[in-house]
Amino acid sequence: MSYGRIVASAVLGMFLLFFVAADLVLFGILPLNSVVVTILPLAGLVLGAVLGVMARKRQSASQPAAQANAQPVG
Amino acid sequence: MKFRYLPVAGLAFGILVIGSASQAMADIPGTDGCAASGVWVEDGLIVVAETDNGVFTIPRSDTVNWEGSVAGPPGEYSGSVWVELPPPFGEVEVDSWSGDSETTSNSGSHEYDLPSLVPAGVEIVVSGEHNDENGSCSGKATLEIDGGPFDSPVTLISLGGTAVTGLGVALTLRPLFRRVL
Repeated sequence: MSYGRIVASAVLGMFLLFFVAADLVLFGILPLNSVVVTILPLAGLVLGAVLGVMARKRQSASQPAAQANAQPVG
Repeated sequence: MKFRYLPVAGLAFGILVIGSASQAMADIPGTDGCAASGVWVEDGLIVVAETDNGVFTIPRSDTVNWEGSVAGPPGEYSGSVWVELPPPFGEVEVDSWSGDSETTSNSGSHEYDLPSLVPAGVEIVVSGEHNDENGSCSGKATLEIDGGPFDSPVTLISLGGTAVTGLGVALTLRPLFRRVL
């Protein structure tokens, strides 16, 4: 059972929302000391992990179908 | 008595210093009658001490003529000024002072020139407190550097990071975007 995709999407999700938070601060939408700046990367970590799990399930579901389609006939 | 509120960028001074040119010098809330004021020489901005009084836009470089005082001889005193960061990172101390004095006021001039890495247009909360034998006082000010987001290369770096990590997330989650046969 591979968790690589889940870990990768969680870490990337955290960094994505960290940079989004930084963008919001740099464009003056959030003040520097806003708690949202802290929450967004954590939300990215969780959301990334959840989406990683969903992506992994989707991939496992599609693989048997692809293998069945690839079976030689006859 | 030293009131070295102005180390980096006049930000340090801005802490206890807020107001407008038309206002008289006001006390900073506390028990020992602290007061402070400052004049940005080139920009013409004049601020006096109050708390939570809007956002003050300061130039990236200037010279600030400042004054600070307490109501009575302070004796042993200490204080500090800090920039507030998002939780849980707390704060970064910009300056601190301590000593023993009977002088009730001080003034000076501080020239600053912030590097371009410091982003413009970002609201930065600067807080400070002063304690002496007569009591204490504290204050905070919200400051931002005059200019736009692209005055600092940090903005381009951040936008680049957003694009790269967004692409990474999209590639990692590729199966979510495929139809299951």
